[in-house]
Amino acid sequence: MKSQKLRVIIPLALLAVAGVAYAAHASVGTLSAFGWESISLICPVGALGTMLASKTMVPRAVISVVLAVAAILVLGRAFCGWLCPVPVWQKLRGLFKKQDTGNAEGETAPQSTLSPLTASEKKALSKGCAGGCASCASHADRKPADSRHFILGGTLLSAAIFGFPVFCLVCPVGLSFALVFLLIALFGAGDVTWSVVLIPLLLLAEVVFFRKWCSHLCPISSLMSLVAKANRTFQPAINDEKCLETAHGATCGRCAEVCEVAINPRHPQLGTTFNECTRCRACADACPGNAITFPLLSKRPAVTGVPAADDVPAGVGAAADLDEPLLDPAP
Amino acid sequence: MGDEKKRAGAGMSRRTFALGVGGGCALLALGALKAVPAEAQVRPPGGQNEEALLAACIRCERCVEACPSHALRPAHLEDGVVTVRTPTVGFNDGWCDFCEEANGGAPLCVAACPTEALRLPADATAESVILGKAVLIRDWCLAWYRDNGCRFCYDACPYEAIELDEYGRPVVVPDNCNGCGACQNVCVSQKEGSYAVGATSRAIIVVPESEA
Repeated sequence: MKSQKLRVIIPLALLAVAGVAYAAHASVGTLSAFGWESISLICPVGALGTMLASKTMVPRAVISVVLAVAAILVLGRAFCGWLCPVPVWQKLRGLFKKQDTGNAEGETAPQSTLSPLTASEKKALSKGCAGGCASCASHADRKPADSRHFILGGTLLSAAIFGFPVFCLVCPVGLSFALVFLLIALFGAGDVTWSVVLIPLLLLAEVVFFRKWCSHLCPISSLMSLVAKANRTFQPAINDEKCLETAHGATCGRCAEVCEVAINPRHPQLGTTFNECTRCRACADACPGNAITFPLLSKRPAVTGVPAADDVPAGVGAAADLDEPLLDPAP
Repeated sequence: MGDEKKRAGAGMSRRTFALGVGGGCALLALGALKAVPAEAQVRPPGGQNEEALLAACIRCERCVEACPSHALRPAHLEDGVVTVRTPTVGFNDGWCDFCEEANGGAPLCVAACPTEALRLPADATAESVILGKAVLIRDWCLAWYRDNGCRFCYDACPYEAIELDEYGRPVVVPDNCNGCGACQNVCVSQKEGSYAVGATSRAIIVVPESEA
């Protein structure tokens, strides 16, 4: 579970570093654009927006887009899994949910993926898997959708028409950092403004209330998933000698269950394509046989959702053994 | 087997399609917010073309952090909807010496701006870049309403843009003023117990050139 904790700690640490730098007047910047003095790396969506809006080629923006594309080609959507603060805010939902169900489990570690499946979820799983996991109720929410691409289109079009990078106004990543700065100004300098109310409300509306933000709405996620279609490196790969299904003929499917973007590493054709992988390592952590690694190049050719044609025993998949608790609530 | 199974177009459920189109339209509507009138702002050096600044600014706030004299702040909601988090000046806390002391006369905010929202011509100097104009509000000025001989702003002005009249009261010379904010920065009104009745700002403030 170490990597799952790190995935909360790293984004919060980034916010903290930006906050300290802001208070100390060190121009380090935020995830919207960070750097030192005249060196800057800009968010690719912001960079495209600014160039479309001002209708000029800005050298630093062009360089930033190129570097971002290169990074996505190598690491896919790792930004979403490790750096973006939005998934951290979304875990707040999990916190409240746990209290609702009266689960007296430990206070921290808001890992919603750890809660055992409810009866209705199990029912949905057992039904849905006849027709492949894409239709599973629990996966429908997690499975990234093409609606993001429309929103990326709307983002760029709107910037070009109205002449300013429109999405930056409401980007939850930018708003997260703005909130830190606002709080510093509020408590440090007594700077009272309506922004202190509006910005948290916007953030709440976007990412906590709208739990499908990352999978259905975020244009940054859209850009990354589009570019990552050409990504072939550091994708989850299964060591067949260790995997319970191939080595022992058991039914497992833990990796597919825990995947936040509904990839099925064991049976790729049943889940999302690999370009959505955020390298969150949930599958590797959950695998009972420790069979999943993220090698530079996986041995399987073309793992991006092309049906592997080999045997997929009926009933084997994410469904697994539904009568048993699939997870220990408290490890 | 519900609605989600019904496909519309390229393997996408109707709900997804509707969400995408709705979200895209929402962003277009957000862009239209630009039509909401916003209060004119005094911008950092290189941000005087408001249209160009709004077009390029991604609201990363690096310029605000970069300012060594703490003279910049992100705009608030009160300053305008589309203006939120773009850089504006806060001359109560510091003034703009064009980074003469910190960087030899090349503003650090311009250097830090990644998207060239703040951009200066190569030969720009503090005198040639007009951030705004100082305006003195006589009703709130100690030298005027109390006639106490206060002349902090006169002493602070680096550009001889403030003169003293025959009674020793400060008067702004707009032609010499580049809006650096040194006068606003030292003005003692609204602090240390000197509050004029009805004052909502210091007695000398820098306003956008269009409003001077």
